[in-house]
Amino acid sequence: MEMVLKLLGLGFRYLLRRPYTRLYPYKEPPFTTERTRARHLLYMDRCIGCRACQLACPADAIKMYKIEGEWPKNRLKIFPGVDYSRCTYCGLCVEACPTSALVMTDYTMEHLITEDKSTTLYTPEMLAEPPKGEHRVTFTKDLLKPPPQPPPKKGGGG
Amino acid sequence: MAFLLTLDGERILDVDLIPGFLHRGFEKMMEYRRWDMDLVMSARICVEDPDHVELSYTHAMDQIFGVDPPERAKYARTIVAEFSRLASHLLWMMHFAGPVAARYATSWAIAAREEVLKWFDYVAGHRIYHHYIYPGGVRWNLPKDLKERTLQVLDRVEGLVRDMERGFFLHPVFQRRARDVGRLKASDAVRLGATGPVLRGSGVAHDIRKALKYDAYGMVDFEIPKGEYGDAYDRAMVRLREMYVSIGIIRQAVQQIPEEGPYRWRLPMALPPGEGVGRVESARGEFMTHIVSTTEKPGGRPLEPYRIKFRGPTMAHLTTVLKHIVHNEEITVADFPVVVGSLDPCPPDIDR
Repeated sequence: MEMVLKLLGLGFRYLLRRPYTRLYPYKEPPFTTERTRARHLLYMDRCIGCRACQLACPADAIKMYKIEGEWPKNRLKIFPGVDYSRCTYCGLCVEACPTSALVMTDYTMEHLITEDKSTTLYTPEMLAEPPKGEHRVTFTKDLLKPPPQPPPKKGGGG
Repeated sequence: MAFLLTLDGERILDVDLIPGFLHRGFEKMMEYRRWDMDLVMSARICVEDPDHVELSYTHAMDQIFGVDPPERAKYARTIVAEFSRLASHLLWMMHFAGPVAARYATSWAIAAREEVLKWFDYVAGHRIYHHYIYPGGVRWNLPKDLKERTLQVLDRVEGLVRDMERGFFLHPVFQRRARDVGRLKASDAVRLGATGPVLRGSGVAHDIRKALKYDAYGMVDFEIPKGEYGDAYDRAMVRLREMYVSIGIIRQAVQQIPEEGPYRWRLPMALPPGEGVGRVESARGEFMTHIVSTTEKPGGRPLEPYRIKFRGPTMAHLTTVLKHIVHNEEITVADFPVVVGSLDPCPPDIDR
């Protein structure tokens, strides 16, 4: 009996609490932090078309597209496009980019949900366009800069 | 993953595991990808506890590169690994409480896990797959307000875990449901290759964190919870006590972590030839990664490992241990979810 009363008390306490679920998308935005990795943003004027992002992608989500125009830094005129049906948001492309042309925002995948499979592919022009909704640039190469210290040698290996 | 049961009325006479539904060929795929891509892929091996797979991969890679991570990174790895254990045990709690009809405990576990996932988003940028532990240290620096925020999260999680203990683990109905079900003697547990909470539930206080003292585990105090009878209830209680132990380890680590200092060594892109073995105590037991790197791979580049082999804890639990329990005890169909739940299986880990 004592146990039952204790449990009822515990249950009532939870009954009076605010629901834990977020009322997304009707009342609240998706939960993001200053480090959330989500949709990319491409600075086309910085891109040199080196394909480092494409080679670094473990999910083969990045393909290079030729964009005609005046690109003094990008002689091949190739820029990355991301297929969000494949992207795992690991951020290795951002890490690989030598010119910090590719960054990630906190515009999360909830915004990118689509019923039409053909719209998951974001061409370089689409990536260069900032997301329409509220967003902040969260994941840049600056976050990843390790201190310039050489790894200390350890006798006989780790 | 599926089970093929041989029944005599309600009693289970034999059980066979049918693995393979989630097979993705990780080990082969990793031979054709760069070592940093492999790290990102390795997290997918165990969805519920990805950081320990990353940690074991990272230890093996650290050995190949011959580096010892900076002290700040060691603490960061320990904190992240313990949060991953918490998240995994809370998800197990959800899976375990459901089949014994304690739906309220399921909701509490998910609420507590949500706090942990938000913490991961705040530190690592993602909720489920974090890609934070990295060869040579951790991928980026810890946030400046780590201590305050982590302690707040731990207080909330601890409160919910205490409620779960009072409302579920000490509940007489649950005790009657799980006591003397799925008993495993200590000698059998060792013989059958059980590790982690399954082994400790049988009374063997073996923990890789204590045995190898990797990362910052040698610098924090913690005890190894163990059971007495080796039944489903003991295994559940070991996991509950491990949640408190994890909370204690994280509290000590955030106090001790150096305020400043490097968090990662810069590693060369090319993989040196060599061998590395990473053994960690994951939420389910011992997880081991063996990596061989050689320049003699025909057609291979020095960026890709020659061979990667993973050894997860779940296969032993769901084959030898489960068969042993079913053969040596009168297990009914109603008991089966309790027995399997107490072994805390991770299907992606078996199928890989």
